[in-house]
Amino acid sequence: MAWMSAFLDSDLPPDTVSRALEGAADAHEAIYRAFQRPVRTLARRLVPRAAQAEDLAQDVFVEVLQSLGQFDGRGSFAGWVRAITVRRCLMHLRSPWHRGLRWVEALAPDGAEAWSAAVPAAGGSRALDLERALARLGDTARAVVWLHDVEGYTHAEIGALLGGSASLSKSQLARAHARLRELLEPDGAKTSCMPVSTNC
Amino acid sequence: MHARLDELLSLRDCAPADAGVRAHVDACPQCAARLASAAALRGQLQALPPAPDVSGDGWADVQLRLAASRARAHRMARIAPFATAASIAALGLFAALRWFEAPVPSSVTPTPLIALDEESLDVLRARSRALETVLAAMPERPAVERAETSVPIESLEAQVQWLDHQLSLVGVDTRAPDAERLWRDRVEVMNSLVRLRYVEAQRLVL
Repeated sequence: MAWMSAFLDSDLPPDTVSRALEGAADAHEAIYRAFQRPVRTLARRLVPRAAQAEDLAQDVFVEVLQSLGQFDGRGSFAGWVRAITVRRCLMHLRSPWHRGLRWVEALAPDGAEAWSAAVPAAGGSRALDLERALARLGDTARAVVWLHDVEGYTHAEIGALLGGSASLSKSQLARAHARLRELLEPDGAKTSCMPVSTNC
Repeated sequence: MHARLDELLSLRDCAPADAGVRAHVDACPQCAARLASAAALRGQLQALPPAPDVSGDGWADVQLRLAASRARAHRMARIAPFATAASIAALGLFAALRWFEAPVPSSVTPTPLIALDEESLDVLRARSRALETVLAAMPERPAVERAETSVPIESLEAQVQWLDHQLSLVGVDTRAPDAERLWRDRVEVMNSLVRLRYVEAQRLVL
């Protein structure tokens, strides 16, 4: 079975959006309940600091519920919510405040570890190792690898989001993979515990 | 030569890839392993657990933020008419100030400060001729000149030449608005020139 983003898998009753547009409070809450986990997960993957990611997720819901009238129904509602989440997170990563903080922390003696501190230390679990490695990637590389490999964005879509081209996205993806390999297998060991699915 | 990582990722994603790269990866155990590794990494990323449950009531927090945002929007809506009125008033004031400070249109001919007078022009010409006579009576300029006097003298001589050229363009039309100003300038420049030549001549004698 093909991989599906958690957003597109969310369970929202069919008439919820139209009722939310009419101002039904329970419909607003239903939208929050249906999307809170995918929104928070995406925010936490793109923004490594958990507190900032949770804050951004809350802002996403404020924007979603306030601008419901702008949803034109051409695509899926889940895709619209995801687009708002991605845009909000990328705006945060581009903000001078975030970049300044990152720059200051990089100067600290343990600066390299500062941004991965939000992720619990590896305890032998492959998933934790991967989360930690992901948090140590650069902002752009992390966003590209997550949007492409997990959310299923195309290189052209990612390039447009980053204000560049598909080539930028491709090169960032290759760089992210190389870096993740370095972090996960510092001794160069090649392990593959997942089934290979390259049947095109 | 082994396949690059971006080429392997293209193969993994079923994106258009070079047939030669595809053939190489099929035949090369190392590249095949790297391709499998890239595919496995994608699988591991997709298998990562979702964000943990939020501590506290997230919906209550969102409601609070919504209420704060609406209150802010309401405040803005209340002050918006005043802000608009203030902006229009400021723009009007700015435009009025610009209007009063606007330069006189070029089509308007400026009035001369001194009315043209044939007699005063004759006086100026006479002074200029007198200064020319004084200048001609002065001794020759020294072969070795002092910079402090020679540079201004040459500058003044150039000014006299330029003024003579301008006066030749005006011609004999004494009613031309520039004639009086040019003759006045010539007298002033000639006066300065005579003084400097006098200083220079004195140094030569001493």
